[in-house]
Amino acid sequence: MGSGGVSGPGFNRVHGRAREYEVFARKARVEPLRLVGSVVAPDDDLAMAYARATYDEERWIEMAIVPREAMVTLWAPGEEAE
Amino acid sequence: MSLGGLILSLADNKQLLGLRYAEWATRAPSLEADIAAAAMGLDDLGHSRVLYGCLEPLGEAGHLAREADPGDYLNLPYFDEPWSSWDQFVAANAVLDTAFTVMIQACVKGNVEVLRSRLRKMLSEERYHFLHGRSWFRAGIEEGPLMEAWRQALEWFGPPDGEVVELYRRGALALGPAELRAGLEQRLETRAPDLDIDWATWDPRRRRSRPGRIDARTFDMLRGLEERRYHPSGARGQAGPGR
Repeated sequence: MGSGGVSGPGFNRVHGRAREYEVFARKARVEPLRLVGSVVAPDDDLAMAYARATYDEERWIEMAIVPREAMVTLWAPGEEAE
Repeated sequence: MSLGGLILSLADNKQLLGLRYAEWATRAPSLEADIAAAAMGLDDLGHSRVLYGCLEPLGEAGHLAREADPGDYLNLPYFDEPWSSWDQFVAANAVLDTAFTVMIQACVKGNVEVLRSRLRKMLSEERYHFLHGRSWFRAGIEEGPLMEAWRQALEWFGPPDGEVVELYRRGALALGPAELRAGLEQRLETRAPDLDIDWATWDPRRRRSRPGRIDARTFDMLRGLEERRYHPSGARGQAGPGR
């Protein structure tokens, strides 16, 4: 049972090896995708289910998720742009 | 069983599935899983409302007077009592919820217009239930709840010579029991366990072999009695909780 999860009371906390995903969405074609939040999940399937459950309150025409580790950071708070 | 009886069974099971999901909205293994349990619960309760709305056009009235006996609900034994483990949740999510979705697909591709038109949207919402269930299913669960969910799913599809076969032959359903089983196996990427089902003891209306009924508290909730505990007579017009 389980594949790397942390044992819990009666279930596996698979989040022991989970990744963070950024969630992007937009309401109209003319709008750019914008960051609406993030979810933590062990795989893309569960991340999609979590993103839809967590951020589906509004009438988005598009929603997408990106693993945070796939984002290439140019600079971050406290750093100078090169 | 008529097509209306099958849809009533689907509606009752969706309603109970939604309630059982919702019971885990503060008990799941993570905050995200809590939210997913709540969202899936809302989805399935909404689906049950749509399905109940299809009963009149199908000539089914078996749901109109069910105030006395919880055994009148056509739910599977899996939903008789609240789940006591997360593995029960996952087995229901992966196997039973997906079994209901395969049946909805059979209705949407069948030749009954009210089902073709009204049930289609459920399939897009159920995609996320499936992703959720499959992911947790792949992480591994105990064999007991899993075998029970498989057994009840296969029983719910019905015997190889039952009325689901007849509905399939008439075109009302696009899939028969064998095709429904194959569809469930394909989605879960696994073979159904080899189970010996005694169809002689199977109840064709409730689509289950094991006797039993939903627990008293859930039955009270379905009849609106549970809410009255929080709305005592004489309290109308006064301030709500916290006063």
